[in-house]
This record gives sequence, structure tokens and C-alpha cells, in this order.
Amino acid sequence: MADSSAWIFFLSAVFATYVWRFTGVMISHRIEANHPIFEWFTCLAYGIIASLVARTLILPSGMLAEVPLWQRLTPMVFAFLGFYLLGKRLWVGIVFGETAFITLLWFGEISSL
Amino acid sequence: MRQSMKDLETNPKAVLKGIRNAFGVPALLLFSAMTGFGSMAQEQGLSLYISILSPVLIWGLPGQVVHVELYGLGAPLIAIVLGVAGANARFLPMTLSMMPVFDGAPHNRRWNYFLAQFISINTWAEMLNRGHQIKADRRMAYFLGFSLTCMIAGIIGVFNGYMLFESMPKMISLCLIFLVPIYFGLLMSNTIHPPFLLAFVSGCLLGPPMHLLTQEWGLLLSGVISGSLAFMLRNRLKGSGNIKEVNG
Repeated sequence: MADSSAWIFFLSAVFATYVWRFTGVMISHRIEANHPIFEWFTCLAYGIIASLVARTLILPSGMLAEVPLWQRLTPMVFAFLGFYLLGKRLWVGIVFGETAFITLLWFGEISSL
Repeated sequence: MRQSMKDLETNPKAVLKGIRNAFGVPALLLFSAMTGFGSMAQEQGLSLYISILSPVLIWGLPGQVVHVELYGLGAPLIAIVLGVAGANARFLPMTLSMMPVFDGAPHNRRWNYFLAQFISINTWAEMLNRGHQIKADRRMAYFLGFSLTCMIAGIIGVFNGYMLFESMPKMISLCLIFLVPIYFGLLMSNTIHPPFLLAFVSGCLLGPPMHLLTQEWGLLLSGVISGSLAFMLRNRLKGSGNIKEVNG
């Protein structure tokens, strides 16, 4: 049945994710608490998440790919400006970024008519 | 008066504090991101049950997206396993680096295998940045309150996206999708520890070209290179306190 194969695919995806978490806990239980590996792995996590953010922004898949690159990068600059110049509040950065994004979409729509 | 993180005396209070701190930008983000995922799952023909269970059992958006995309394409099982594993590999370093937060806690360490399921970028950053402000024996309760709130917001989001897929204006969908890079970009760049910042900046620079090089393992490779580079340079970074010197 197509239905049961959907569940097999899904549970495999679940397994493919949990195996990383499981390994992480297992390693952490086998080494002492102030081992430098913890800092190294935190650096790795930062590096991977940063790559993910940059990929989503610069090489997006799906709907976001239809928006021109500069219309994705400019709002990001606004988000960072809002966040770092106005007291490091996440919602301020988000409002700045989204406002710029909507504004550019709006004008982009008009100029393409 | 708001209760400070240090004074959480009982587990229920710590759970409530976690719920309250998640209720806001973190929950909103999960709701939005998972709305995007729900629309996508509907579009690709995933059943509602699997779509709703996806944030609970996978709980990592990139892997969830890869699963749905490849499923929609009719890809073979092995491609899905490898694709999801590659997209969600960050959970190994994230889980490993977060475990010391629970070190002083009295719970049996086997519970860590359960707690690890709730780790996401959101909850990981929260515990690394603020976990130490909480008494060690209240951290698990705080973490569960915070994470479960995010997860429930995510489930509601999937349901929302799945149901409203056809009627949602494109502008709103785009804004929801765009929220994800903004939020994680700000969240992760906001660290005072120079090696983490260097890992973040070099990861941003290296991520896209490495993704072009290999779609499945690009993120992992780029993260491992930039993270290891930052780790190797950590003593120099701490000494000078100036990132540009080393980076330039």
C-alpha cells in the first residue's frame, strides 16, 4: 500500500535524525565535563547553523527562490541594523527585516507590471 | 515583578517560567516556520497525520523539508535516509555541546536520551545562553517547559499551513518563510564568545559555495571546516579579543 510505504519513509527520516541526538548524548556520557570537545562541537554547531542560514538566504528552495537575491539580502541588512543598533531585541530586528522585505516585494511587484 | 531565573525554587515554577519565556518570539517563529512546512507537506501529498507528527518526531526543519521534498519526488528510501541525516547532522554537535548544562542535575542521566529529542536551534541557544542562570536542578523543568511550548506552537503551525495552503496569500507565505533566516541569523550572530562568532561568520561565507559543490553534505562540510577553524584559533582569539586581526 502507498500508505504504509509513506510511514516507512517517514520513520526512516525520524531515525536518521534521532541517531545524531542519541550519539551526542552517548559521547557526552563517556567524556569528562570540561573536555575541550564540548567547545569544539559548539563551534561546529555554530558553523553548521550559519551555513544553513546562508544557504536558505542565498540559495533558497521553493517560493523564496522567486524573489531576487538583492531583495533577500537588503532586508537581512536592515534586520541586523535594527537588532544591533536598537538594544539587541529580536522582535525589533524581525520587524525591521520583514518591513524591508514586504516593502521591496511591494515595489518589485509594481515595477514588473 | 518578574521572577528572576535564579529564584526558581520548584519544578512547576521552572516549567512555567520556561513556558512564559518561549511564549513570544520563539513560539511565533516555530508557528511561522511550521506553517510554511505544513503548506509544503500538503503540496507534496503527505498525509495530515505524518505532517503533524513530523515536528514531534523529527523536530528539525531542514530534515523535515528534505523528507517531504524527496518523498514528493518519489526518491528511493536510501536517498531520504542520507538526505535527512545530512540535513539534520547538526544535532550531534548541538546535543553533545548542550549536555553539560544538565550535568549538575539530579535526574538519572538516561533521561538525557529523552531530553535530546527536544533540542532545536531555538531551545539549544536558549539553554546555552541562559541555562547557567538557572539552578542546576531546575534546568530540566525549564527546558521542558520552553521546548514543549515551542513544539506545540510548531504543531499548530503545521496544521494551520496544511489547512490553509490554498487560501494563503503569497505575500504572507513569503514573509513566514523569510522569518526563518532572519531569526536564526540574529540569534546565532548574537554571541559574545569570539570563536563562536568566527564559526558563525565563516560558516555563512562557506555555506553557499559548499552547498553548490555537494547538495547532501555541503552544510555539514562547511560547518565542520568553519567550526574546526574557529576552534583551532580560539586561543589567539581570546588573547587579542579582536576577531578582525585573525580573520582578515
